[in-house]
Amino acid sequence: MPGEADRPRRLLPGAATPYLLVLPAAAYLALFVLYPMVQAVRLGVTDAQGAWTLEHVRRMASDLYFWPAVRYTLLVTALAVPLQVALALCIALLVNTRFPGHTAFLYVCAIPLAVSDLAAGLIWLSLFTERGYLNAALVQWGVLRSPFNFLSYEHPAWLVGAIVTTEVWRATAIVMVVLVAGLQLLPRDYVETAAVFGANRWQTLRHVLLPLLRPSLQTALIIRTVLAFQLFATVVTLSGRLVPVLAGETYFWYSLYRNPHVASVYATLVLLLSALFTWVYLRTLRPEGEGA
Amino acid sequence: MRRALRWGVLLVAVLALPAWPGPAGEVVFTSNQFTPVEEQEWARNTLLARFTQETGIGVRFVTENEGPYVDRLLAEARSGRGSIDVTGTLHGIFPVLVAERVVRDMGEIQRQLDARRDRTFYRDLLAVSRIEGMQAFVPWMQATYLIAARREALRYFPQGRNPMRMTYDDLMQWGQNIREATGERRLGFPVGPRGLYGRFLHGYAYPSFTGSQVKRFKSREAVTMWQYLRRLWGVTHPSSFRYEFMHEPLLLGEVWVAWDHTARLLPALRQRPEEFVVLPSPAGPRGRSFLSVVAGLSLTRWSPNPEAAVRLVEYLTRPSTQVLTLQGVGFFPVSPEAARVVPTGGLKVMADGVAAQAGAPDARTALLPIGLGARTGEFVPVYVDTFRLIAIEGRPIEDVLAAQARRLEELYRATNAPCPPPDPPERPCRPD
Repeated sequence: MPGEADRPRRLLPGAATPYLLVLPAAAYLALFVLYPMVQAVRLGVTDAQGAWTLEHVRRMASDLYFWPAVRYTLLVTALAVPLQVALALCIALLVNTRFPGHTAFLYVCAIPLAVSDLAAGLIWLSLFTERGYLNAALVQWGVLRSPFNFLSYEHPAWLVGAIVTTEVWRATAIVMVVLVAGLQLLPRDYVETAAVFGANRWQTLRHVLLPLLRPSLQTALIIRTVLAFQLFATVVTLSGRLVPVLAGETYFWYSLYRNPHVASVYATLVLLLSALFTWVYLRTLRPEGEGA
Repeated sequence: MRRALRWGVLLVAVLALPAWPGPAGEVVFTSNQFTPVEEQEWARNTLLARFTQETGIGVRFVTENEGPYVDRLLAEARSGRGSIDVTGTLHGIFPVLVAERVVRDMGEIQRQLDARRDRTFYRDLLAVSRIEGMQAFVPWMQATYLIAARREALRYFPQGRNPMRMTYDDLMQWGQNIREATGERRLGFPVGPRGLYGRFLHGYAYPSFTGSQVKRFKSREAVTMWQYLRRLWGVTHPSSFRYEFMHEPLLLGEVWVAWDHTARLLPALRQRPEEFVVLPSPAGPRGRSFLSVVAGLSLTRWSPNPEAAVRLVEYLTRPSTQVLTLQGVGFFPVSPEAARVVPTGGLKVMADGVAAQAGAPDARTALLPIGLGARTGEFVPVYVDTFRLIAIEGRPIEDVLAAQARRLEELYRATNAPCPPPDPPERPCRPD
């Protein structure tokens, strides 16, 4: 039969098609992501002559800023990411009720997406400094008699608070966009069925929407956590190096100390931490029924 | 016939094209100076545009932060060819460029410039330009660091003392007086990550208190100095840890008395020359030490267009161009011929301060460390980290100094570098 004879000929290109389609992206990733990544890791464990060494790792670990950088990176991530996800979920649920004007509300909430992290840092710096807008307003309203110094080395907690506030303002939008998209994909039937069985709003959210949103939440958490480890410009703008973070140390070792080796070790550490957290999220937030 | 004529005209036009008075080639000029946007704009549209107007030579000006700037030069040096003709940077970076065989010996070009008889260079700057037995650069422009203060703050200056002859004790008393009178801390230092406070520690405070930058790093005088700096931090604005350019807090009014690089104070003086004064850096028990920052110009070894490059160096070091540079970006002349031109406004205020600092009877010039090669960038962090541990975190002074001195010793032992002045030039330098 002609169909039978055709089959092997169609099968071969058919099987190769996905690989051919993936090839450009794979080549791009290999050349511009994988290759530099391998280079960076190698730079961190070899000396100027190219011999293997752990000297750079030792220098990183014994540096004055290393442990504070690890601590503050984890602290800022642990404070900012849950806040962002909770706030984004609220906004997404609100948008999903499709109240009049919800499109305009969505766009307004998404504005910070267009602001670079450095610009966001500068905006909030102009609010928080001694001569900033916040102090001017508080003095004007009679809340304070003289300006209060929010960004002082004497109150590290205030500094962290300012950083977390800026981060929440800047990056909640991206989580919100992911969650709004996820919510809109859910069929209305589930919610309607829940209503038929007499579930109230909270029960619908807790037992119907959140479990169905799991894949979107997973994506949002991975994106946010990975980006939080790269956090740098806002922190440096608001706190100098008093609140050191890993990505900032990478930059300082490269551009201030002119030591690309130790900078590479820092970069590799950020990579490993990102990979670790991504793996944890992938495992713990696995959609139900997938081999749990 | 007419057609032949038309072709003939075209042919002549094509043949004549290279002789047309168009741009006579292009030079590529890289620098880590003039990085702020306004300065870049000024360099391209004023400084270098005039050169192109005069010579017909186009200039491609690339300015970057120190890291990428040095990397670009080293990458071209290692590949043995490249596009950069001229490079202009700080004296402290030239040792790296000499060690990596980036720049050529500028001795011959210096002789050509001298032969023009329209400019001389300050002798001490020429002495500084000699590195590893060659002339690494032609002096281009210079700067220093000093104190700018709001006029209204002078009211609080210690009674009976002269601000132009300020000592470190006066500075402390000044800060305390302001604090007592206003309840606020109004002294400011650029302690931010890209601020230049490290220069204050190794080039100003250390030599003024101990007469040394490296050798007496953990001496008894150094302990006294750190006790002083810790107390001074107590009357310093608590946001100083993030200041990088002191003209910003000065203009905002957060800070009334600020120490910084001339170029980083100048915008405040330009905006409100009548509101500020410029004062020399303070004097300590061992004199009034200050850093002189020299920038130089050099040709790369592989310069594709050396003749045009030499013309650019000639133009940039011409006295009239030096005056233009002072007016444009506040870097001071390297030739006495240019220094005779008296500036006005904020520049005048600054120039008076610079003259008072350099001309003080107890003035001592300290120079940036040299000979650390690729590890030059590790010198300043030793001092800044020491400050952080002692003044901000309040750790015991002797312990911190002992630990940081080991870092300094390792750095000097590994590079076999000599002590920077005012220490004797022994090699490798070693903290006592």
